[in-house]
Amino acid sequence: MNSIALLGQPNSGKSTIYNNLTGSRQHVGNWAGKTVEKNEGSYTYQGTAYTVTDLPGSYGLSGNSDEEIITTDFIRSGQSDLTVVLVDASQLERSMFMLAEFARLEKPAILVLNMMDVAKGLGKSVNADALEKKLGIPVLPFNATDTKDYDKLKKRIAAALQSPQTLSVTPPAAQSDVQADSQAKFDWVSELLSGVTEKNDKVFKMSKFDRLMTKPLLGKLICIGVVLLAFLVAMIIMIPFMSIGSIIPELLHDPVDSLLTGWNVHPWIVSIFSTMLPNVLYFTISMASFVFGVNIVFGFLEEIGFLARAAYQFDGLLSKLGLQGKAICPMLMGFGCTIGGACGTRVMDNWGQRMLAMSIVWAIPCASIWSIIPVISGMFFSWWQTMLVCVGILLYVVITMVVVSKVFSRKLAPKESRSGMIMELPPYHKAHWKHIIKEAFFKAWDIFRRALGTVTLVSILFYIFSFSKDGNVDNSLLYRVGTFIEPVTRFFGMGWQTFMAFVSGAFAKEAVLGTLNAVFMGNNSLLDATFYAKTAPTDAAMLGTAMTQAISPAEALAFMFATTFNIPCLMALSTTYKESHSLKWTVKVAAFYICNALVLSCIVYHIAALFM
Amino acid sequence: MKLTETTADTQGRIVKVDGDDHFMNRITSIGMTEGTAFQTVRNDKHMPVLVYLRETLISLNRADADRIEVEV
Repeated sequence: MNSIALLGQPNSGKSTIYNNLTGSRQHVGNWAGKTVEKNEGSYTYQGTAYTVTDLPGSYGLSGNSDEEIITTDFIRSGQSDLTVVLVDASQLERSMFMLAEFARLEKPAILVLNMMDVAKGLGKSVNADALEKKLGIPVLPFNATDTKDYDKLKKRIAAALQSPQTLSVTPPAAQSDVQADSQAKFDWVSELLSGVTEKNDKVFKMSKFDRLMTKPLLGKLICIGVVLLAFLVAMIIMIPFMSIGSIIPELLHDPVDSLLTGWNVHPWIVSIFSTMLPNVLYFTISMASFVFGVNIVFGFLEEIGFLARAAYQFDGLLSKLGLQGKAICPMLMGFGCTIGGACGTRVMDNWGQRMLAMSIVWAIPCASIWSIIPVISGMFFSWWQTMLVCVGILLYVVITMVVVSKVFSRKLAPKESRSGMIMELPPYHKAHWKHIIKEAFFKAWDIFRRALGTVTLVSILFYIFSFSKDGNVDNSLLYRVGTFIEPVTRFFGMGWQTFMAFVSGAFAKEAVLGTLNAVFMGNNSLLDATFYAKTAPTDAAMLGTAMTQAISPAEALAFMFATTFNIPCLMALSTTYKESHSLKWTVKVAAFYICNALVLSCIVYHIAALFM
Repeated sequence: MKLTETTADTQGRIVKVDGDDHFMNRITSIGMTEGTAFQTVRNDKHMPVLVYLRETLISLNRADADRIEVEV
């Protein structure tokens, strides 16, 4: 089998070339023992099969980041027969740095001068033949966006594999000190480029739009606006999939119920298959379709170069939390949905900071919370008091973020290893929709496949706990445990009813109202309440009357804060786990949030009880 | 002077870059080495510094920009 590897800096057009070469024959995995994504694909050219490994993008190979170590080891090992080195022809002097790094590995290669069209547009000419003579390996002028160029590329690859060539030019001499070493590489590049391309000493002028985008206040407002719009678009993309998903529980309930009952299956088992599993499927479909939508809008914003501008705008603010500017988009996305926020952190390059960003995103109340808080608050308080509750929640969001950062940043992003933002603001690009949609689909499918298992498992556990023979809440294990530990939960400000709603909120925030309905009105089983939350409407007025008679305003207030700042829903938890690949950290952060919610509830309850 | 002390549209040369190996690898691989000609594009309070060098627009966080000595 012929095996090639793609090597290039960020923004060199590497993923575009990878996608166009391999089409749908791609496989996404992880590098052994690392959290770095491994992309492998294949294609056939003139009857011969080729495998392509997309090496992780980095600016150099000398650093000790996971990406650089993986790349260096892979090339050294000789697992690929040929390395295709990509450079940006419009920024040749800087991007050839990668070739200088590669030269030291002394392996067969061809050089692809990508973005020749952009270089031409800037009035730069590159003499590929002259460069080829100097280097001693094939040099191919290329436009990654031009589909006609790929035939030439495949032909060159095939020829190079027949008679592999290693750089004939001597690699830059190694220096002991990093500064001198990099200097030697850039000198090596300058030497090679003399007579190949002319130096450009023009004064740089920002485009009109960029001048607005980089203004301190206006730029931030534009960013917030664009992300809110992006959230809306993600929702619109999600709607058709979700509507199909929402039919599943209704469609399956009756036929499955009558079929299994007809087979004399015990009703307890029947309800697992007729009520729980179809709803698990529906939840997971909703989640995956939202991930799909989020990945499309984020992929688009990243590819056109918008994310880099947003990161520039918010870097100063976020560095105080131990994060980079790149975290801003997932954080704003979190106001819509924590799942979206968690998977949006994929734009960050450092694992520790990424995990930290996800744990901070958890503190941001999602749209579901914003939809239940006013309803509950409205039962106990007047409109202006409800406004105050919302303001209080927002204030506590900031406090939680700071505390989470203080608690976890020491391990996840220690000051000395914290890498501040050093990034390129690439020129605005056109988006390649096919590639974006394909990648979003892969992500969504992956999340769906893996989350289905987790969600089913936890749902079954919840089923066992909430199970009661006659469907009455009072006979469930949860009730028994709930009333048994009520003296403890009472200390934290919650009676068994609100505590149960608090627990179900960890499942899905939408379930909170349904659970309250079940425990206070007693007309619904807890299981149905949790799993039918999205389909069975709750009569807020009736529930309000029942609740205000049963619990004090102080308890209601404590409950609202506890629910808002508890762990996000099960789907968000499972997304965080899948995205971080770390069960240990997901559990750690979850434990922190549960404690935080209980302590907060306790404080709010006891202070509020003094005044109410 | 430091890179953070330059104003928009100043042109100059990087004189000294200082830091641990991790930082040096990151900063030099993107093109910021001693002797490199640069142009400050934007330098606003509490914001990263925007510089143009080696035909690339680079955003550099303030703490790191503070470690770069330049002459104009």
